[in-house]
Amino acid sequence: MALSRRTLLAGAVAAGAGLTSGCAGKPLDTLLTQAAQVPRTPATLTWWVSEIPARNGPVVADLIIRAFERRHPHIHVRKSNALSATDANRAAVTTQLAGASPTPDVYLGDTTWPAQFGTNSLALPLQTLLPKDFWSAYPAALRRVSEYRGAVYALPFYTDSAFLFYRKDLLAKHGRPVPRTWEELLRTARTIQRAGDAAYGFLWQGSVSESLTCNVAEFLADAQAPVLDGAGRVALHGPGAERAFALMREFTETGVTPSTVATYAEADSQDAFTGGRGVFLRNWSYAWGNAADRSASKVAGRVGVAPRPGFEGDGPRGVSCAGGWSNFVNPNSRHLGAAVAFARFCAGEEAQLILLKHAGVIPALEEVLTRPEARAVGDPTLTRVRELHLVARPVQTPYYPQVSKALYTRANAVIGGRATPAQALRAARADIRTALEGRAL
Amino acid sequence: MTSSAPASRRPAAEPAGPPPVRPRRGDGPGRVSRRRRARTGWLFASPALLIISAVTVFPVLFSVLLSFAEVRLEYGGFSIRSLTGDHYAAVLSSPEWRQALLFTFGFTVVTVLLELVLGTAAALVLERLGAARGWVLAVLLLPWALINVVAAQLWGYLFNGTYGGLTWLFEQLLGHQPDILGQPASAMGAMVVVDVWKTTPFVAIVVLAGLMLIPGDVYEAAEIDGAGTWTTFWKVTLPQLRPIMAIAVLFRILQAFGIFDLPFVLTQGGPGTATESLAILGYKTLFQNLAIGRGAAVATTTAVIVISCCLLFLRVFKAQADEGGRA
Repeated sequence: MALSRRTLLAGAVAAGAGLTSGCAGKPLDTLLTQAAQVPRTPATLTWWVSEIPARNGPVVADLIIRAFERRHPHIHVRKSNALSATDANRAAVTTQLAGASPTPDVYLGDTTWPAQFGTNSLALPLQTLLPKDFWSAYPAALRRVSEYRGAVYALPFYTDSAFLFYRKDLLAKHGRPVPRTWEELLRTARTIQRAGDAAYGFLWQGSVSESLTCNVAEFLADAQAPVLDGAGRVALHGPGAERAFALMREFTETGVTPSTVATYAEADSQDAFTGGRGVFLRNWSYAWGNAADRSASKVAGRVGVAPRPGFEGDGPRGVSCAGGWSNFVNPNSRHLGAAVAFARFCAGEEAQLILLKHAGVIPALEEVLTRPEARAVGDPTLTRVRELHLVARPVQTPYYPQVSKALYTRANAVIGGRATPAQALRAARADIRTALEGRAL
Repeated sequence: MTSSAPASRRPAAEPAGPPPVRPRRGDGPGRVSRRRRARTGWLFASPALLIISAVTVFPVLFSVLLSFAEVRLEYGGFSIRSLTGDHYAAVLSSPEWRQALLFTFGFTVVTVLLELVLGTAAALVLERLGAARGWVLAVLLLPWALINVVAAQLWGYLFNGTYGGLTWLFEQLLGHQPDILGQPASAMGAMVVVDVWKTTPFVAIVVLAGLMLIPGDVYEAAEIDGAGTWTTFWKVTLPQLRPIMAIAVLFRILQAFGIFDLPFVLTQGGPGTATESLAILGYKTLFQNLAIGRGAAVATTTAVIVISCCLLFLRVFKAQADEGGRA
């Protein structure tokens, strides 16, 4: 028995070693040569795509697939339904990709993924396959997050931009303008709360997740405090950074934001707002569709949209985290040429117009936003998006998830009153330094 | 059965004692046949063995191998470079790991103790129920039958800061809206409550099975000796229940130490990292940070700790049982 147990162990180790050597990589040049040609023979692609918010019924992904198949009749695209939560989605797709699975051929991923996915060979570098002026048609912030060390790992699809949603009726009742500064927002919110017209003043996202990192990145940009300096080292100090963290605490301390914001994800904050409990809401552009939907929102018809406020003084206003989703190409795809063609199609005019007309998102191709169709849709986020000042999160590192975790856990402590802004900033700095050195778990 | 029958009634043709060994056709000595039988046995067992090694032995060993390795993902696969203990050094010295260990350990101790006490109490009540026992048992088992994620989501709605039923209830009682999942202590407390709610029925049903196995005469003897209810429970019932309680505790330690779904759904490990269990830390390290070696090291250390805990528990339990036997 002892012998056979030993044999089993030896067999398992041998199998492991065999698997290890059997999984040796392929040279990039070969892959890029394949990727440069759209095949003439029939091919079936799998597209990993989470549900794209729809404006008026039809499934947006299907419309795009049908349009692509009309242009490339021999390429068939099959939809593979991704999860909606970003982090769970990443875990699901990386499990497949790290196992060298040839499917999905193209996958829709978050704009924070390129550096990490590129470094880990989970996304094909596409820069040699793109024309020189490719990026001129897309927001500069989107280009910054899609590239890492000169390589492009993601092609633009749609952007998420943050807005301030507000209750038009309540502001009118109290004779208040739409706030242009945070100080003004605090005053207005308190007035309306004291009058008993709303339970909460300002709703946003404070749970320990990427959503909070986006909020923190925006507050920091409002205060003109960078997370990393030009050389990629951690900055995050000084009066600006403290002002941003102190503002988050002020919201919960004064009761303008409920202390439960520390557990709020996007849906929670939106539910509270569409349920009529809040005056202001910071959320992504898609929240407009939900707030205006009479069947789901108690406040439909009474909601306005504005760029986010800034701090009093001459700092920026209308700051928005550059969020959104891009298409990545799986380097293990059996149809690299077709996969690249499809990812490029999604970034192109025809697909972007479909997004404009049918999806509750902002197309990445800036040019389509100037079309008359954009005005005809009647979504204020589409017409006001060009007033925004997009800021990228510090995603230019393969350790971005750890950097993000450092920001959201420390900011969460400030919101909950468990740390002062200064303490939290010191701790976050130390955490980010550890993360950037690759020493964080 | 037949052995209890009087020997005289047995037919004369079949004498008592072991049956004589019948000579087999073309057969060698008994050893060869035994070997052949063993070979047939292995032959039949081999598919199962293969499956077990494929789904259990291999992944475990591979995971241990990865925890020592520098893994690099490449186009079309991955490569393993130097084997070192670096990942363990990184894991064991990291504050995240220590925090996760502390939470997981505390959670395990508190929930297992609570569940053991409450489950035993429930089992004692259940045992006294007559015809209604089946119904009560069915209702009691409902939480246990629910899928963890579903149960966690249900409680998540109750704890929700905006429209949660429990939040509302506390608001009425305290006058202000509590932030149950937003503060470390209450978030941990909430998690213990949910786990106890969900898993006490399991302990109850295991202990109930143990109770039903205790022979009635020991109780009669205790009664004759004039033992009261309390003494009977401490001196008769509890010692008899010990082995089965040990099994329940072992199961619970294993499960509680690997807790993932409750914090994942309820708090995502927050507030801060207050409810980040070792399993969640391992998941984040592996699947969010793509640190394969370190993730494997987190998993391996967790396994080593939980196995050590179980062995330690068994040793203490056995020592106590031996002592109890001698006394």
